[in-house]
Parts: sequence; structure tokens; C-alpha cells
Amino acid sequence: MAGENQASSGTPAKVKIVIDGRAHEFPAGLTILEACQRVGVQVPFFCWHPGLSAPAVCRQCLVEIKGFPKPVPSCYTPVADKMEVITNSPKVLDVRRQMLEFTLLNHPIDCPICDKAGECMLQKHYFDWDARLARNDGSKLRKAKVVDVGRHVVLDQERCILCSRCIRVCNEVARQQDLVMAFRGDRQLLTTAPGQRLDNPYSLNTVDVCPVGALTAKDFRFSMRAWELWATPSVCPGCATGCNIEIHAARDVIRRLIPRLNPAVNKYWMCDEGRLIYQRVHHNRLVSPMVAGSPASWDAALAEAARLLAQARDKSPATLGVVLSAQMTNEDLFAFSRLAGEDLRTSRVYLVGAGEGWRDDILVSADKNPNTTGAKLIGGLTLRTAADLKQDLETGVLTALLLVGEADVVGSLGLLQSLVVLTSHQGAPVAAAQVALPLAMWAEVDGSFTNRQGKVQRLHAAIPPAGQARPGWGIAARLGQALGAGWTYANAKQVFSEARDKVTLMSGADWGKAEMPVQLRFANSRG
Amino acid sequence: MGFGDAANLPEADELPTESMPLNMGPSHPAMHGTVRMVLEVQGEKIRSVDVQIGFLHRCFEKEAENATWTQIFPYTDRLNYVSPMLNNVGYALAVEKLLGIEDKVPERAQFIRVIVGEISRITDHLTCLAASAMELAALTVFFYLMKAREWLWELLEEVSGARLTHSYVRIGGVVADLTDDFCPKLRDVLRRVRAAIADADKMLTSNRIFRDRMDGIGIITRDDAIGWGLTGPVGRSAGLAYDVRKDHPYLVYDRFDFDVPVGSKGDNFDRYAVRLEEMRQSMRILEQAMDLLPAGPVLVDDARVALPLKREVYNTIESMIAHFKLIMDGIVVPPGEIYSFTEGGNGELGFYIVSDGTGRPCKCRVRPPCFANLAVLNQVLPGLFVADVVPTFGMINMIGGECDR
Repeated sequence: MAGENQASSGTPAKVKIVIDGRAHEFPAGLTILEACQRVGVQVPFFCWHPGLSAPAVCRQCLVEIKGFPKPVPSCYTPVADKMEVITNSPKVLDVRRQMLEFTLLNHPIDCPICDKAGECMLQKHYFDWDARLARNDGSKLRKAKVVDVGRHVVLDQERCILCSRCIRVCNEVARQQDLVMAFRGDRQLLTTAPGQRLDNPYSLNTVDVCPVGALTAKDFRFSMRAWELWATPSVCPGCATGCNIEIHAARDVIRRLIPRLNPAVNKYWMCDEGRLIYQRVHHNRLVSPMVAGSPASWDAALAEAARLLAQARDKSPATLGVVLSAQMTNEDLFAFSRLAGEDLRTSRVYLVGAGEGWRDDILVSADKNPNTTGAKLIGGLTLRTAADLKQDLETGVLTALLLVGEADVVGSLGLLQSLVVLTSHQGAPVAAAQVALPLAMWAEVDGSFTNRQGKVQRLHAAIPPAGQARPGWGIAARLGQALGAGWTYANAKQVFSEARDKVTLMSGADWGKAEMPVQLRFANSRG
Repeated sequence: MGFGDAANLPEADELPTESMPLNMGPSHPAMHGTVRMVLEVQGEKIRSVDVQIGFLHRCFEKEAENATWTQIFPYTDRLNYVSPMLNNVGYALAVEKLLGIEDKVPERAQFIRVIVGEISRITDHLTCLAASAMELAALTVFFYLMKAREWLWELLEEVSGARLTHSYVRIGGVVADLTDDFCPKLRDVLRRVRAAIADADKMLTSNRIFRDRMDGIGIITRDDAIGWGLTGPVGRSAGLAYDVRKDHPYLVYDRFDFDVPVGSKGDNFDRYAVRLEEMRQSMRILEQAMDLLPAGPVLVDDARVALPLKREVYNTIESMIAHFKLIMDGIVVPPGEIYSFTEGGNGELGFYIVSDGTGRPCKCRVRPPCFANLAVLNQVLPGLFVADVVPTFGMINMIGGECDR
């Protein structure tokens, strides 16, 4: 059909339709539901999802079309020329209400204990489109309440409204047939396929798309009421893909990460591994500057670090190394590159990071660092590798080292005369260092990562840094001051602007606008 | 300045003095509601006055932006805290107007709102007169009137559960019906209140000491009343016959027969007399309202506005969801703005509210009548004696909670 309507100029054919008495023009091939959304006409739905196929099972989006004998599902019906759609006739509203009444008939009275309450589509649609008292006082049909369907997910079959979104996420995103429907009528239920468990690497997306609280994440279950969370846009630091996420935190504790739509990167999805990566933010952190293994003030620790580094530099800059990590933000990388070049006057700058891991052709990259691309752009061709570092440590070329960021450091630190470490976590480097300084993590800073496609993506601080930790660029500036540098930075945006001006391949990047955390209760668009 | 210079001043026949600043308040027994007046006095005479408000500022308008529409009722209780019901009603009417459900509020609820509102108007005036009489040394009158106020508050406590901060009104009606024997009790209380007011009237109206402090003091002309935006008993005592209940009837006020008393001189005594008569008129309204009180529900029948019954909430998913949405998200008021005004204890109590379509106000501005009423003191007090500040301020009846918000 689309081929026939194709105009000779190559532009897609347009169709003229009337929605609720108003004429509109849309490209052919659009569904009525999408057309309604484009012009702001409210049509409710459960089973339709913009990232999935449309099975038209929930019958919530029914609309009337003039000349059609009965209401049709708008999510499934493409727009056609001269079509006249009515979304708010008494008949449509009545059908919608009847469908909701069916859906609610056996729905358990779980809102007070349900994780989805507050962001639940059933609550929203009932309130928006029905809002009538129950007419049924019979008992409800009971089903299993706690079904352990997978590594990360629990199923409550009573709450399920049988929309099949989760089944389609498994089939179409993870490409594994893990979930199926069983039985018929009011006994129909969602379950795992025979011999299968919901263990695919994208299983937690089923929890996001579940319009009700039928599928819940073991990690988040019963830990926090959804409306008390504050959402901050950010980027997943789990691998080089850089999935766009929202950090959901309350009272300075991150409770979950959920994917944020970016059609060019991750669409609506993210992997389970990435979702759980936030746990590291609250685990085993270095919370105070340390000098010779004891907590110290920032001033004392910075002075001692500067003394050690200046001593090594003045003796011989060739034996002083700076190790940067591909886990660091562009701003931290730029500031430390500048410190290494201008103030420590060393060319021995190494780039390390997390090792290679598993990959797939959906979202997961083998490179488990979020900012390898950015590090290479900023560090340039002179960056040395982890293998170089190993060799230089073992051959004794290096006598002093400034180790920044999280990394699997290979090689022995024992031969070094002086070691200054900036890191977010406790561990062997902190234990071996003369001076260790606490570094703020990705969820605690404003900054940017450059993903594998070369997209520079913004991070926003969702929570304050743990303990006395500080953003890396700030520590670099203070170390620089202590070493007599003539430069400093007031904020991350300043570092970013300078990096963009100096690094040719970052010139198109935009810092974007500041995003404040929004409490989900007040983010009216949700649920 | 030597005595020689002083002899040339116009006031040379009085004691030669220099003007001096004198602080009254914010902590002063007669400055109830916490207000500060910086007087410039020459001897006993007031040359100029600077009325400073804000000591009771509680960010009502800002707080309202972070509360659901329903959660604002307790804040309105604390505006004019001697007539909380009138604030409850005024605020509820504003939100109902923006929701477009004024006509759907059940008639019984409207009558109940009139009843509790008029009781509150009486308690408001009783407090004003009692406190002012006490400040002029008529302590017996204070006790008589306060006792009457307590009888009325006991009745309001009976229907709302709270003596002062009632939070009894809801968007779409009132939270609970009147108690079974409310009307007989109210008739009995009104009889006693009427007697108490008659006693106070006898003790004050023909009392030489009282009249000397009130007559001809603090005169406000009708033009001033219009110019300064004075409403309520203060405006009416100046001859401005403006009463929202008569001029822009709301609820069911157009069904009652009552008079709007108006003063002729605009002095303190007129303000006293107007309040005295208004209480009698309120009692007239109360008696008519009790006679006409229809049966029926007291809350609008709309699951998107009124909380469902607890029995339904615990036993059906529909009402559970409605309860959840109303509590967590709040009543969804369509985007728009509205100014709604009612006759409060002190005059025109206005609410200007703006909704952005969420469960909380985008803006909730109060037009507090006593803010405008108090402003006129800057003009009225100069030329009077320091002792006149007390009855004049008392008759303006500034309520800190309402004026400062």
C-alpha cells in the first residue's frame, strides 16, 4: 500500500484524517494511536508499547471509525485517507470503562503493598477513564502471588492483566522465548515456558514495561515507595555502549536505575548487569583522604601528595608516571592530562580500565569502560597502555606514580618509591599508597562520557559524594595549585568547555542544560 | 533646644517636648497577633506611625505549592484562627469553582457550610469585642463573651473533632454530617449567646468610660474605606454597605433574610456596634438555616474528588485506587486560574488560585481582609493619643495569622 502511494518526489505519502472533528494530515503507515499521540488526543492503552509490536490484546485503545460496524483497536489500525476517528464518543468511553471493569474484576487489592503503586498504569487509567464504584461484591479469583520466575524477577500472577508486554520484550529485545501465557478465560495466566526461566540478560526490562505490579525486581522489591524517589538523568557506566538512564534515589541512596529513551543508543532498554551496577556506589567506598594509612584532612593530604609528586618530578620527570582510567569522566581526564603535561611535565601517561568482558549484538559491549573513546580523544596518541604500565613497573623505569580512577592495575606497585592514589574504593592501591584521596563516582558528579559511537553524553549528580570524596577535576585543580600551577577550574562545565575547545573531535559536543532531580510523585507524566 | 525656642512652637501651651519614637509591640499585650507599631509621639500625641507586620509569616502561599489541594485545609485553619471555618469554606469554594463542580456540591453540605461559617463569624466578633473590652478594663465583659465563644466552639468541636483547627470542610462538601442533636443544641446555645451579648451590650453601650474611649476616635470616611479597600465590619462602619453574602451571594445565602448593618460616623464605636448587630444577624441566618436544612449527602458524588468510604477502600480495588490517587497525587484540578471571594470574619476573604493541571496548586494567593484593613492605621492614628491606639487597633481586629500568612 505504501509503495503505491509513494509520491514521485520520494517523500512518503500523506493521508488526511479527521480525529474528533479536527482534520489532520499524517504520513501513511502510522497507526491511529500514534496519530492521536502526535496531536495530543488522549487514548489509553496497556498492551501497546512504542518499542514493541502491537498485539491489540488489552482492548483499552478502542476508538470508533465512521462506517465501521464496531470499535477498532487504534494501536493496530493504520490511518487511511478520509478516515473519520472518534475517540471520545459515549460508546467509546463506555467500552473503555467496561474493559477496565473486566480488568479490575479479579485484580487484588494490593496497592498499599505493591511496588508499582504510584506509577501504575491501571491506577492511572481507572482514575482517568472510569472512577466508578465497584459493582461486584463476589470473591476474587486467586492465583499464585510469589512465583520466582528468574534470577532478578518475581511474578505475581494475580496482579497480571495479561497484556503480554513482558513476553514481547523477551521475544523481540532479548530474542529468547522465556515467558508464555497458559490456560484460557479468567484462569489465563503468565508463566515461564516449559523448562525455561526468565534468565535472559535483559530480564529486568519486563519489570519496566509491566503496566502493573505483576513483575517486580528482586533488587528493588519492597525497598522504597516509587513516588518518594527522585529521578536524575544520567548514563550507565557499565560498558562502552553508554545506555541513557535515570538514577532513582531517595535520601542520598540510589535505589534503582531505569533506562531512558534514546533512539540512537539504547532505545527503551538496558541490560540487567547495567541496572545493578549502582550497588558499587554504596559499597566499600574510600570516604576520607589517607596519608600513610591514616585518615587525614584534605589540606594535609594534598600537601603531602604535592610534595611527593614535586620531589619525583624535580628528580627526573621520566620516572614519574600518571595512570588514568577509562572509567573517568571527560572532565576528570582532561584536568589530569593537563596536570600531567603542564605541572608534572611527564609524558608517561597510561590509560587503563576494566578488562574485556562478554558482549552481544543487542546492547552489551565487550569494553567494560564507559569512556574509552573519550579517554583516547583527550589523551591523544601518546597514551600508553596497561601492558606498557606493567612492563615499566616491573623493569623499574617508574619510581613514582599518580594513579587516578578505578582500574584493574596489573604489575607490582611494590617497587615504587612514592605512590599517590585517587580512587573511589578501598583496595590494594589504597593500601599501598603513601597518599590516597577519595574520588566521587559517576552518580555523584556532573560530567560526561563519550560512548563507543563517539556520542558525548551528560551525567548529572544524583546524590552527594560519599564522605569527603570530591570530583576528580576539582582534585586535579587543587593538586595543580599545590604544585604551583597557574590554572584552576570552578566547575565541571568550565573543564568541559575547555576540553571541547582543545580536543578537535569533541568540538561538536554540547554540555546541555542542568537537570535537577525530580521527585516521581510530582513528575505528573508518570504511571 | 532651649525653653525660649519651645515657647514659639504651636504646642507651646502644652509641655514643651521633643518628638520621640515609641515602640508598641511586637511583644505587647494590646498588640495581639504580634504586630509592631513604631510611633513617633510628642508628649501623648501621635505624630506619625509605622505599622510593621510579618512577625507571624508562615509561608502559607509557598507551603501550599507543595501540598495537595486537600492538604491545604489545615493551613487555611491557621489564617484567621478565630474563624477557621470561614477560611475552610472560602478556600473550598475557590477550588470548586476551578473544578467546575460548584453546582454539584450537595445542598445539605452548602447549608452546613453556612451554619458552621456563621457560627465562626459570631466567634470571630465575640473575640474581637471581648478582647477590646478587656483592654479598656471591662474584664467582666471579656469573661461573659469568651464563655459564649466557648459554647459555640464546643459545638464546632462536636462536628469536626477539633476545638480550633477544624479542617472540617472538604473540596466537594464537608467531611462528616452534623451530629444527630446538633440543631437542638445549637438553638439552646444561641439562646444563651444572645443573653450574653445582651449583657455585654448593656455593660458597654451605655458605659461612660467605654464610650469616651470609642466615640469619635479613629474616624474612617466612606471614601477612605473605598480608597483603602476596606471591607467587612470596618468598611461597613464607615458607611460602605458591602457584604459579599448580599452583593455576590454564594452557597445558599440568597435564601436567607438578613440585614447588613452600616455605620454612619466610621469611628471605633460604629465598628463595635456593627459587630454587635452582625452577630444578631448571623443568629438570624442560623435559625433560618436550621429550619430549611435539607436531608441528603454532605459530599459530592464524584470518585475523582471525594474520598471513598473506608469500607469500600478496604474491600474493592476500584475504591482502593481512587483513595490512593486522591491521597498520593491529589485531586486533579484542570489548568486555569480563578479568584473566588467570600465574606470572612474581617471582610472580603479572597483566594486567587492557579492550577497547572497537577494535584497541587501552582499558586495559592490569599487576599486577607485585615491586611487592607490594617494598612489604614497609618492614616488614622496620627493626631490621636497613645491610649487611643489600643481601642482603634482592637476594632480593626488584625489577626496575625491572616494578615501575615
